[in-house]
Amino acid sequence: MRAPAPPEGEPPPPLALIEKARGVRRLAAVDVTARRLGLRVGQKATDAMALVPDLITAEAEPEADAAALDALVDWCVRFSPAVAADRPDGLMLDISGVSHLWGGEAQLMADFRARLLANGLPFRLALADTPGAAWALAHHGADGVIAPPGGQGELIAPLPPAALRLEPATADQIARLGLTRIGQLMELPRAPLAKRFGAPALERLDQALGRGREALSFRRPPSPWIARLAFAEPISTPDDLARVSQDVAALLCARLEREGKGARRFEIAFHRLDGKAMTLAIGLALAGRDPTRIAKLFQPRLETLDPGFGIEVVTLVADRVETTSARQVRLDSLAETAVEDGLAPLIDRLTNRLGEGRVWKSGPRESHVPEQSSAPGPALKAGTAQAWDPERPRPLRLFRRPELVDSVMAPVPDDPPVQFRWRNRLIRVRRAEGPERIAEEWWAGPIEATRTTHVRDYYRVEDEAGTRFWLFRAGLYETGVPAQWWLHGLFG
Amino acid sequence: MSGFRDGALVALKAKIAALEAGGRRDCAALSLGDPRLDGCFPHAAGLPLGQWHEIGGEGMEVETAAAPAAFAALLAAPLALRGEAVWILRRDDLFAPGLVGLGFPAERLIQVCARDEADALAVAEDALATLGVCAVFVEAEAVDLTAGRRLQLACEKRGATGFVIHRRPFGGAGAKAATGSAAATRWRIAPAASQPGPGEFGLGPPRWTATLERCRGGRLGAWLFEGTAAYSCEGHHGTHPLRLVADLGDRQLAPSTPLRRAG
Repeated sequence: MRAPAPPEGEPPPPLALIEKARGVRRLAAVDVTARRLGLRVGQKATDAMALVPDLITAEAEPEADAAALDALVDWCVRFSPAVAADRPDGLMLDISGVSHLWGGEAQLMADFRARLLANGLPFRLALADTPGAAWALAHHGADGVIAPPGGQGELIAPLPPAALRLEPATADQIARLGLTRIGQLMELPRAPLAKRFGAPALERLDQALGRGREALSFRRPPSPWIARLAFAEPISTPDDLARVSQDVAALLCARLEREGKGARRFEIAFHRLDGKAMTLAIGLALAGRDPTRIAKLFQPRLETLDPGFGIEVVTLVADRVETTSARQVRLDSLAETAVEDGLAPLIDRLTNRLGEGRVWKSGPRESHVPEQSSAPGPALKAGTAQAWDPERPRPLRLFRRPELVDSVMAPVPDDPPVQFRWRNRLIRVRRAEGPERIAEEWWAGPIEATRTTHVRDYYRVEDEAGTRFWLFRAGLYETGVPAQWWLHGLFG
Repeated sequence: MSGFRDGALVALKAKIAALEAGGRRDCAALSLGDPRLDGCFPHAAGLPLGQWHEIGGEGMEVETAAAPAAFAALLAAPLALRGEAVWILRRDDLFAPGLVGLGFPAERLIQVCARDEADALAVAEDALATLGVCAVFVEAEAVDLTAGRRLQLACEKRGATGFVIHRRPFGGAGAKAATGSAAATRWRIAPAASQPGPGEFGLGPPRWTATLERCRGGRLGAWLFEGTAAYSCEGHHGTHPLRLVADLGDRQLAPSTPLRRAG
């Protein structure tokens, strides 16, 4: 972010930002024109003014710079979800597994470059296996270098040691000893290197070459719906946790209420003294903002938390925030039940206790395949029109996997079985109806994969006791090939 | 003198009824559409609501519980039109199109898959006490006295009706038989051979043999029922979807296994 935008026509007047350090006003940043005129960062402002009388100066604003960098980091999430700010003037994108969306690393970089240029930002880009190597190449190498996998060593070898993100004192010492390239450092034995320049220098070298690990702190998109409570004394008993979860929920819900919002997901985090955070999340079927209800949903799971030496801070984040209108309680409709009163809290309780996907309402799905004709939907959905054809009998119990039946006696080619054996019971068929032929959905997949063996002929049969079964024969009849019969369900 | 005695008797009877109803004056009941049936239940009004009922099967049905489930769904179908119904399962094998085919409004049915028996009963208790829920079906192996009492209290809270469908988990060991029970009625359901109409092929409407093994404050009996609305587009407006085909009377009351003490 400190390098050149192409000059167009008349060069702009030189510009420098000034900051005050230890009573002396020094240049904090210079633009291209000023640098060309011989000014540099760290120069005294008075010297610079003497050298370049028409220098335009302004006060440096580090806070505004940091805010702008944060905004840029948030913007970069469009390229990769993992973006870390490298203060004061850089940022790192982890593009593992996302570059193919652009057709390759070069294309990703080209797009990135085009978008940054469109924003009028000066910048330098580099891409490498490790954050250290990428930093070195971006700051000291050529602009737009893409290091091949594992090839960052050769590329950073000719760069100065300062490209390793060393402490200024260490960098100065290395320079004093006449080592001007990273390559020279790489050739030195490790033990004396560490002894002379300190372990951090060796660590930086390892990080750049991919021999050491480096953690980047990626920034998450911030949620404005967060409430936080800090305690003077750490708390640990479940009663206290329940109380503070209610308090923090009241804080957040008051804000939600003021703005007419409700949220469908809440995540509470208990931050322990040792820096670990334990999180619990609940979901609501309808967007809500009742602190008592939210705290109650957390309560049964608070006991599972290990408070360690105590909890000092609790935060609550609301997610999936929606606009909800306040409910008007009508006095004249006491008998009428509203869904908010009974069902929605019940579904919330059950979903949060049993887990997602264990509370549902079945809805129709356009499919002839029996097991796919019914799909679980949200439990609070209003009733849909009946799309299942009541004239096609379907069993009350449908087995998830059809069960193979044996000892089937069935007249060929397409008569229902006369008797069969299922779960070690010999069942004699008294009445039967069918077949109802259900073929594979050939339009759903490649036509070559469609087989006549996937055709099912369903029969509804009743045994002597009156039990009604749903059987099918797999595939079309072929002479000499024994048919396979499956039991798919039971009618009540 | 006799007038005074009658009056005292009536007062005493009313007091007992109030005690039995858990303090609720209005004893709601669901008419099954046939006076011969309704007469077996307390006050000759039909299936008592705001209480819970046990429905079990025999033989293979102990594990699959298909016929008891179908019977319970049809028994409660008129209830499901008044509010939501909740069906609590241990195994996710209830097929909504099958329920619709029988004549149960599956669009009003919330299905819940519980992890174990205790979970299932706790969910049932929670659902019964919820505003807007009219019927709760729970598939459970056995309900002991404490759990039964809790279910009863939950039923009385909002007047919802519970149906416990006895079902043993697949491969489960010997059946735990419930010793006593707080249920209002206990039914034993077996599928019965269907009877297609004259000149029709295939299977007729589904039929079940239902034995009322226990009925608090009522009489016992055994009947043959037919699901009239099953697998047809014709609606059944006003009538109960279960049609009484025959009164099996006493001959079904002496099955091979001795009956538990009823009443």
